[in-house]
Amino acid sequence: MLIYLYGYLAIGVVVVVVIFTAHLISRTRESDFVKEMQDAIYPERNTLRYRILNIFVIPLIVAVAGVAVWPAAFYLKGKEFWGGKEVPPPEETEKEFSVTEGDLLETLSITEIETRERIVDPMGATPDSPFGHLNAAWLKFKETMEPQDSISSFSAQWSPRWGSEQTLAGYVIVRDGRLESHFLTARRPINDD
Amino acid sequence: MTAQISEKLTYEGRQLSMCSEPLSDYFALAGIRPSFESNCTALWRGYVGSWEILENRLYLIGLSGTLEDGTEATLQTLFPDFPGRVFAHWFSGRIRVPEGKMLDYVHMGYASTYERDLFLDIEKGVLQRASVRENGTSDTPDAAEGYGVGAITVFPRGMKDKED
Repeated sequence: MLIYLYGYLAIGVVVVVVIFTAHLISRTRESDFVKEMQDAIYPERNTLRYRILNIFVIPLIVAVAGVAVWPAAFYLKGKEFWGGKEVPPPEETEKEFSVTEGDLLETLSITEIETRERIVDPMGATPDSPFGHLNAAWLKFKETMEPQDSISSFSAQWSPRWGSEQTLAGYVIVRDGRLESHFLTARRPINDD
Repeated sequence: MTAQISEKLTYEGRQLSMCSEPLSDYFALAGIRPSFESNCTALWRGYVGSWEILENRLYLIGLSGTLEDGTEATLQTLFPDFPGRVFAHWFSGRIRVPEGKMLDYVHMGYASTYERDLFLDIEKGVLQRASVRENGTSDTPDAAEGYGVGAITVFPRGMKDKED
């Protein structure tokens, strides 16, 4: 009977060594950003008491417990490796916003738009071009225009699937009376408290 | 969903926690979404931005995060030509800055309630109005001051790599 107990404990020692090695490997791969974040959330991480607890006392308790009940430790570590993690909230399945006729405000030329949308910052912290940091998106939007198209500004109420109701503003291409692609310039929650 | 780590804001010489994410508006309007790695349940967005209100203007002055390829993301990663300061002209809305002791902890988003909320109303990156809402007084005199999250789960990099 005793031989089974020794065998059980020997396996426990091996399992604990493997788990601690895996833990040390994953610890060394943590990025500086994660370390800084944890330090910010738990300032006590840098105290001597926390370090003694974290580096010596807790690992010792876990090791002793691991040898005694290694199947549970083996199961938990296996679950961590192969079980996946909490799924972040979905972002890609949001319904798509589209401009309607009732949202249109006024028809404007490219020159008028680029003049009114020039961003000026006294500290020079934005590009000296229409729409500032959104200029690349504006240029991409303009590329979708055809010679006979016009552009209209718009302001629309939008109820996304997640989050509060918003006012969206921007410009939309009008082609033969149909509304084509749009360019968003502002997004503002209606009830912002 | 775990309570989320806030953005950082410097306002009138004070270091504050900002429970608003102006960069998400930038990503939506610019039509881009860098692949930030989500390292823990308290930071699904994968980055922390540092902001400043200077001369009544909202600026992004720093960024910390890790991209999915493992490289550290900085302000220069998003705005290569503006590595030190970016005027947040794309943002219009209300910034919420919780202050004082916590009254009610909610383990989700920025839903926890604090003794006061400082609201900063921004229009195209320019501060229009600052106001304070009093939410009550804490019954716990020795409670910690300021915004915080109760608990997080950190994902080891090895685990993430395995999923990839």
